[in-house]
Amino acid sequence: MRTSVVRALDSLTRLELCVLDALVVSGQTTPAELCTSVQATTAAVKAALERLVDLALVWESTAGLRPLTGVAEGMTGGPDAGVSGLQPRSADPLTPDQVASRLAELSPAARALLEHVLEQGGQATTSAARHTVLPEEAANPAEELLSRRLLVPRGGGSVVLPGEVGLVLRGGRTTTAPVDVPPELSTTPREPALVDRVAAGAAFELVRRLELLLDHWGTHPPSALRSGGLGVRELKAAATFLHVDEPAAALIIETASTAGLLASRADSDGNPVWVPTDVFDGWSTQDLPQRWALVARSWLESPRLPGLVGTRDPAGKPWNALTPELTSRSMPETRLMTLRVLAELPPGQVLASGTGLPSLVARLAWLRPRRPRTRADQAAWAVHEAAALGLTGLGALASYGRLLLAGDDPGDALGVLLPEPVDHVLVQADLTAVAPGPLETGLARKLQLVADVESRGGATVYRFTPQSVRRALDVGWTAAEVHEFLGTVSRTPVPQPLTYLVDDTVRTFGAVRVGQAESFLRSDDETALTELLHHPKVGPLGLRRLAPTVLISDTPIEVLLPRLRELGAAPVVEAADGSVRVTRPDQLRARTPRVRRAAATSAHETARVAAVITAVRAGDRAAASRPAGSASLSPSGSLAALREAIEIGGAVLISYVDNHGSASDRIVDPLSVEGGQLTARDHRSDDVRTFAVHRITSVKPLDVPS
Amino acid sequence: MNDGPLIVQSDKTLLLEIDHEQAQACRRAIAPFAELERSPEHIHTYRLTPLGLWNARAAGHDAEQVIDTLLAFSRYAVPHALLVDVAETMARYGRLRLEKHPVHGLVLASNDRPVLEEVLRAKKIAGMLGNRVDDDTVLVHASERGNLKQALLKLGWPAEDFAGYVDGEAHPISLDESEWHLRDYQRDAAESFWHGGSGVVVLPCGAGKTLVGAAAMAHAQATTLILVTNTVSARQWKDELVRRTSLTEDEIGEYSGAVKEIRPVTIATYQVMTTRRKGVYSHLELLDARDWGLIVYDEVHLLPAPIFRMTANLQARRRIGLTATLVREDGREGDVFSLIGPKRYDAPWKDIEAQGWIAPADCVEVRVTLPTNERIVYATAEPEERYRLASCTHHKIQVVRDLVAQHPGQPTLVIGQYIEQLDELAAALDAPVIKGETPVKERQRLFEAFRTGEVGLLVVSKVANFSIDLPSAEVAIQVSGSFGSRQEEAQRLGRLLRPKSEGKSAHFYTIVSRDTVDADFAQNRQRFLAEQGYAYRIIDAEDLPAGPVS
Repeated sequence: MRTSVVRALDSLTRLELCVLDALVVSGQTTPAELCTSVQATTAAVKAALERLVDLALVWESTAGLRPLTGVAEGMTGGPDAGVSGLQPRSADPLTPDQVASRLAELSPAARALLEHVLEQGGQATTSAARHTVLPEEAANPAEELLSRRLLVPRGGGSVVLPGEVGLVLRGGRTTTAPVDVPPELSTTPREPALVDRVAAGAAFELVRRLELLLDHWGTHPPSALRSGGLGVRELKAAATFLHVDEPAAALIIETASTAGLLASRADSDGNPVWVPTDVFDGWSTQDLPQRWALVARSWLESPRLPGLVGTRDPAGKPWNALTPELTSRSMPETRLMTLRVLAELPPGQVLASGTGLPSLVARLAWLRPRRPRTRADQAAWAVHEAAALGLTGLGALASYGRLLLAGDDPGDALGVLLPEPVDHVLVQADLTAVAPGPLETGLARKLQLVADVESRGGATVYRFTPQSVRRALDVGWTAAEVHEFLGTVSRTPVPQPLTYLVDDTVRTFGAVRVGQAESFLRSDDETALTELLHHPKVGPLGLRRLAPTVLISDTPIEVLLPRLRELGAAPVVEAADGSVRVTRPDQLRARTPRVRRAAATSAHETARVAAVITAVRAGDRAAASRPAGSASLSPSGSLAALREAIEIGGAVLISYVDNHGSASDRIVDPLSVEGGQLTARDHRSDDVRTFAVHRITSVKPLDVPS
Repeated sequence: MNDGPLIVQSDKTLLLEIDHEQAQACRRAIAPFAELERSPEHIHTYRLTPLGLWNARAAGHDAEQVIDTLLAFSRYAVPHALLVDVAETMARYGRLRLEKHPVHGLVLASNDRPVLEEVLRAKKIAGMLGNRVDDDTVLVHASERGNLKQALLKLGWPAEDFAGYVDGEAHPISLDESEWHLRDYQRDAAESFWHGGSGVVVLPCGAGKTLVGAAAMAHAQATTLILVTNTVSARQWKDELVRRTSLTEDEIGEYSGAVKEIRPVTIATYQVMTTRRKGVYSHLELLDARDWGLIVYDEVHLLPAPIFRMTANLQARRRIGLTATLVREDGREGDVFSLIGPKRYDAPWKDIEAQGWIAPADCVEVRVTLPTNERIVYATAEPEERYRLASCTHHKIQVVRDLVAQHPGQPTLVIGQYIEQLDELAAALDAPVIKGETPVKERQRLFEAFRTGEVGLLVVSKVANFSIDLPSAEVAIQVSGSFGSRQEEAQRLGRLLRPKSEGKSAHFYTIVSRDTVDADFAQNRQRFLAEQGYAYRIIDAEDLPAGPVS
């Protein structure tokens, strides 16, 4: 109940709050009376009332309008939040005339006191004043006021200034200034076409950078922090990669994540990394306006706060991009409202560069006075981010941004503003190719294969190098294909050095072949090898001729050798250095066993035997005295039992769990217990040891004294 | 969508489509602030660098102009971050000023106190500054003027130098234009230098940089010190000055290893300036020998490091740098900017070629295949030996012979790096050779003979790379070079680019051993050529046509 009232109140404008406040002061009243007490036009008050009734914050009783119970408590904040600070009217109010005449009788001191109470919110405490006096008998200013019912006692020594008195003191109004005029936005004129162009430029850059970064991260994923964010160094690297500053990079990365294009997963070593999602693959094949629309929409609805990245939280820890906690529930609302306010600007007007933002914040404060505290920051971020995303340009909403905001498809409107994709490049003698605009996606990918990208932006500069051409050959292109591709894609004749470069690269491409073989066969006698190769039984050996004098086989040498011998060949094995390795049948031998002489008995050994026997006996005793179903004790129980044992001076059987978690039973003579440690003589090791009390699971006194 | 010729990339390169109708206008508009990086046939690449933007600021352009230009010519939306960066970078120039204070002398002043505070706290600068005069002004030790500028540039707050120049000892110099005329671009270059105070003029080889120097001297009307790369070049400067100006032979002195004359106009070589005896530069006194009013640096891109240090102490004198390229293989462009001055004039090669002042060139790379035995020697050689082995293959001699045979009667230069190879070539071609050990007299005699046509074929080592005027050379064949030096390539091509009679085009051959480091280095150099707009061809030595071709 209360939560829903507060939420409803949060969605009111300052005007609506003022009207509601006036109603709370009146308790029950007519619309006409409200119009006089709130400084606003009748129409504005009526409209506000209608909204309040719709929200059920106000209901129409037979005797007039009444506020919903609980509204009065929910009205918090100062005049900015529409709260006048007047108390509700008393049940049997004085008329304004009565109040006025009584005010006139007051002494200056009483009048000052009354004003003071009004300023302090209409409540005060009096200890000395008598509550039941006649005006004539009043001995002090407080009694003067109480006797004239300008202050009303509330029990417990507190008094209130009733609403009707406050109203008269304020000249019959609950507000001190007109409240129906939202603050003006400060604007400057700008060509709408220019706005659209600038915004579309930003939109294009955003999508291009998103694609670039995610493509890059697909092959070079940045590691994710354990907290889920992206490290400062990775952010820096991304900023450098994209030629932007870090806040801009943070926004791009955050946007990628909100649009569902970026997520974290474990890499092959199990470390978390950020990589593009499978949505990205579908997204990157769409045309640019569609791609932009998805990103912009998700940004609008996102609670993320990219603007905080790089700043520090109250504990002094820097906020990392993609940190899960970097959200605010009010952010989507702020974004939407900010853009709506911008949408209200007439075409040709944009937010003024210096004063525009503060005026926008003031307007938002009027629209939603009650929350949130951080709105000034949030609104500034929203304006800044919208510009970076290309929803706005030069401080005004772009035409297609308006469509997006209205829930329509901005694609076509944006499409006409974007540079046309080009289907050709200019190839030059310095082995570069320049695409004078955004290339068609398929073409761009092909070109990226045969050439390295040297510079990006509106245009792209590619450079051909032997390495880049080889890259294309590696994935199966032929020289003819490369030539044909260059011929079709270049609007200018392909320069001779480039043709030469391709041919020269092809010439050396594949000059060295690499393959796998288990063994090789070499012979100066070509006929012998030919004979072997054509032997009907060599099929399974997988022989292949590399050169007249060399065969290779995919059979390991251990298998190959006996088979070849079976086939009648007489091969010798060559070592790695080319020398012949001669082998003969192994003759098996075993190692002569060494006979151990019995060791001489020594004192040392005797001592060890004695120790073992003591330990065995102690173990026996422990086993004997082990309780049938020994209930484990709590540490405090153990402590009590141990203290008892120390007093008696007897041995106890303890069950002890050591560092490695293995449990054992020991018989010990407890000596002292302090600091959670038991010092005791252990029968098994015959030594004084300490035991952690919390590891002792049971203690059982033994009758047998040690 | 705008239909401009320019595409602004987010990595701060600008792509200019030169076949576009607005391309010329755009090129002129962006030239002041963007460095031309490459100019192949269709799309030229410019780059926005802090130095370039500061050069523009020094020339009086502001960030707003730069941004407006970009927006006006850009085909697509200009990345916002780039615009912000341009504005910020340009705003950094001139926040600090070096000024002459009427009472305190040289001071560093700023209207932007935080910037001043920031640089005052930099350790590298502390020792160069004196006491604080007031909140915005700090004393500077006069001797640190150059070092301070250098250090401030490194900090990213280049100072503008308003401290002015000494006039130097007056000496009348005027151009003698009775038989020739200063070309328009030469006049522009000299004037923009003079208005800027100090700085660098970038003109391609063969575009007449000497005359720009002479014009600058005519502006200065003062004693002049000219620093050149070598003795031959010094003699050429002298000849040229005698021919083109009112100066007489007696007024011009040569200060080199052989002669040490100090005259109103003195031409000194880098080498003699950087000679050290017992760790001390023994010829530093030359810098103070006279009250020089102007210092001319020829081939600024080759300026050796010690000369930079000396230049740091010459900040009160006007300085003009002449060069074909600001690209330095050692990356010390910033020192050129802070010590000699910002770029005052620049014209791309191709433009000047189109005006007919330099000859067009036909560049061909000829690939020879090493015979198997040489390939094996190469493959098993130590890495540091490989380049020499590959580039000195005997195979190249035959190819050179073939190429020479293709151009009968055309003055030909064969250029190489390795003396042995050059000797062999000279013997095989029966041509004179000029190398490091050839006496200057003999060199000059041979060059003169080549110029007059007496000698039609000359084998030269890298001594001929710089500043030797051989306008008659029509064919150059390079057989080996200093690894992949782009700057050397520019110089060698430059030998050929002096205007030819009848507008004939020059031929530039590079002979390269295939599949070796020689080819790798050649690629680097070829790329430079292509980026300068010289389309080149690659042919195999076997495919060379036999006999003469036109």
